[in-house]
Amino acid sequence: MSAWDRFAFTFLNLEVARTYWLDIAAGISVTVFVGIVVVATGLSLGLVLAGLRSLGLRVVTWPILVFVDLFRSLPPLAIILVIYFGLPNVGIVLPSLVVLWLSLSAVLAAFAEEVFWAGITSVAPGQWLAARSTGLTFGQTFAHVILPQAAKLAVPPLTNRTITITKNVALGSAIGVSDILGQANSALAMSTNATPLTIGAIFYVILFLPLVVASRRLERRFAWGVAGS
Amino acid sequence: MNALAGEFLNLDVMWRVMPMILAGLARSAVLCAVLLPIGLAGGIGAMLLSTSRVRAVRWAAIGAIDFFRAFPPLVLIVFVYAGLPFLGVELPTLASIAIAFFLNASSYFGEIYRAGIRSVPAGQAEAARSTGMTASQTFLSVTFPQAVRNVLPELISNTVELIKLTTLASIVSVPELLHSADLARSLTYNSSPLILAALIYFAILWPLVRLAGRLEHRLR
Amino acid sequence: MLNPDGAGAPAGSRLLEARGIRKSYAALEVLRGVDLVVERGELVFLIGPSGSGKSTLLRCCNRLEEPSAGTLLVDGVDLMSPRIDINRARRQIGMVFQGFNLYPHLDALGNVTLALRKVLRLSRRDAEARAMETLALVHLQDKARSYPGQLSGGQQQRVGIARALALEPKIILMDEPTSALDPELVGSVLGVIRELRERGMTMVIASHEMGFARSAADRVLFLEGGVIVEQGTAEQVFTSAREARTRQFVQQIMH
Ligand SMILES: Nc1ncnc2c1ncn2[C@@H]1O[C@H](COP(=O)(O)OP(=O)(O)O)[C@@H](O)[C@H]1O
Ligand SMILES: [Mg+2]
Repeated sequence: MSAWDRFAFTFLNLEVARTYWLDIAAGISVTVFVGIVVVATGLSLGLVLAGLRSLGLRVVTWPILVFVDLFRSLPPLAIILVIYFGLPNVGIVLPSLVVLWLSLSAVLAAFAEEVFWAGITSVAPGQWLAARSTGLTFGQTFAHVILPQAAKLAVPPLTNRTITITKNVALGSAIGVSDILGQANSALAMSTNATPLTIGAIFYVILFLPLVVASRRLERRFAWGVAGS
Repeated sequence: MNALAGEFLNLDVMWRVMPMILAGLARSAVLCAVLLPIGLAGGIGAMLLSTSRVRAVRWAAIGAIDFFRAFPPLVLIVFVYAGLPFLGVELPTLASIAIAFFLNASSYFGEIYRAGIRSVPAGQAEAARSTGMTASQTFLSVTFPQAVRNVLPELISNTVELIKLTTLASIVSVPELLHSADLARSLTYNSSPLILAALIYFAILWPLVRLAGRLEHRLR
Repeated sequence: MLNPDGAGAPAGSRLLEARGIRKSYAALEVLRGVDLVVERGELVFLIGPSGSGKSTLLRCCNRLEEPSAGTLLVDGVDLMSPRIDINRARRQIGMVFQGFNLYPHLDALGNVTLALRKVLRLSRRDAEARAMETLALVHLQDKARSYPGQLSGGQQQRVGIARALALEPKIILMDEPTSALDPELVGSVLGVIRELRERGMTMVIASHEMGFARSAADRVLFLEGGVIVEQGTAEQVFTSAREARTRQFVQQIMH
């Protein structure tokens, strides 16, 4: 066999692809589902935490800071393993899908809180004064005056961070979640051929490349707003 | 409460598995010592290619960068680690991990450097060139140092991410810190080794996370 | 390359001889055949409305901007020659910028020594000794260790002048050196420029400091729409210009 033939047989084997591609495609729904739920949970929790922090109450701020620093400093895989293997021994048994969802949401929430907070603090204090002086409540001021301005600074880093963390859904394969990577791994074991990995990789690229390209555009569009920073 | 402490903060267990954990930590340190320089240097290469004056080179580089940013790092590691042996290429595990990290980290660091270069006003290079400095002297002494300073928080944050990524090596059975801790967990039927590993990661990474935050605040 | 005044003619007293300089950006022709000839020791003032091409002209003189056409001689050396080592040539031509363009990551001394070390390849000690002498010329020897962010605008611009001066150039080009400064800081920079003139430095300055031009400039050039509309002594251009456009412009900047 020539080098190319061997490469094609190993990574681009149509026979193997035909047998397993549907299984691997089934993993897409898991990856997409967990991804969407994590993004929704993580971003809203992050926003809520940032909002609470802007109240400026020490008893609220401290726990938020501990949460944020903890989940920004710990490797996601370590968090997943601690929750997955630790909790059953104290009587709490969670499905691996839920463990994955909780872990990644917490990580995304921690990063999102920081990004939102940076955006909020970048808004001039006069904006709060002006809005409150016209009779807007704290919540109204936050939603209609502060947040739109903060978003400008927050959107590019937030998109990047969200994509990075969503890609971590693949970590679920370590605790038996049948996402794309999990399915590809089982197919790999059964077929003793690397083609399932190629298929999995193609699915990941199809899923995430549009997001990466979109984030690049977004970054360029928002760039003028933070010029010189 | 006692059940919790016995499961998660069992000092006795922690003490017993300590040698294993420390060996894992040493292995993780070696991983970082190899992978971080590869990523930082690869990022400079990616930045130079993606800012090339030749359009074809620039577009190819940006395409490759986006491709590897879209690729989950774990998938990349598994792909290189599990795929190459089928080809008859027997690489040491560390080498396949290094390849995967090189592709991932270069892309992320490359984008950070590029943002840094863009943040340096054009007048800086102009002033340097007006004093007779060559293009490469200007880049090395004027543009690049300022670029790095401007994106130092992002460089530190990404370094933190890269250190976290070394835990993925555990999935391909490299006995690094997390892998050792997980092994210790399965031997002791107790989660304290994982907590111990988490504490070690936190002790190392938290100062870096804080430092990045502080620098970002100062630059803003 | 053809030399319009005869190839190989001695440089004589002409230090800068730019002729027929043209520069286009895409469809926009910014310079439309400008002659700028400067004698040794001369101080030439360049005035003209914003967008008339002053900065572009100055930047063409050391090929920071590539002229689309024209000839360019500095002390008899043809800068447009394909064989020219432009980095070597640029040592002879100092440049001072409107926005200072100091290196923010280096202190005042570092700003001045960088080219001395990288271009002239002086040792650190020699470079620092020369830089200190140059900083003394702009009255900033006691600010050598200050970073640009710790200096006032006037001090920053004087570091910028020292950075150019340290390479011992034959001519210095200044692009609106005082227009980014608060009014009370302008004097210190103009004072340094006047001292340079008294030491015989050749300079081309784009600036609208009319009072200074009156007392120090040998010649004033009025640039508009990419051509030199009029030139003469400061007195002639400011009070008895021939061209209506010149008079109109002078009127505007007097207020
Ligand atoms: N890099 C460039 N690309 C396109 N147009 C330019 C560029 N630099 C200058 N111009 C244009 O050239 C004209 C002259 O600019 P400039 O030399 O800066 O004028 P001045 O210094 O007299 O204000 C302006 O219309 C400006 O918009
Ligand atoms: Mg100008």
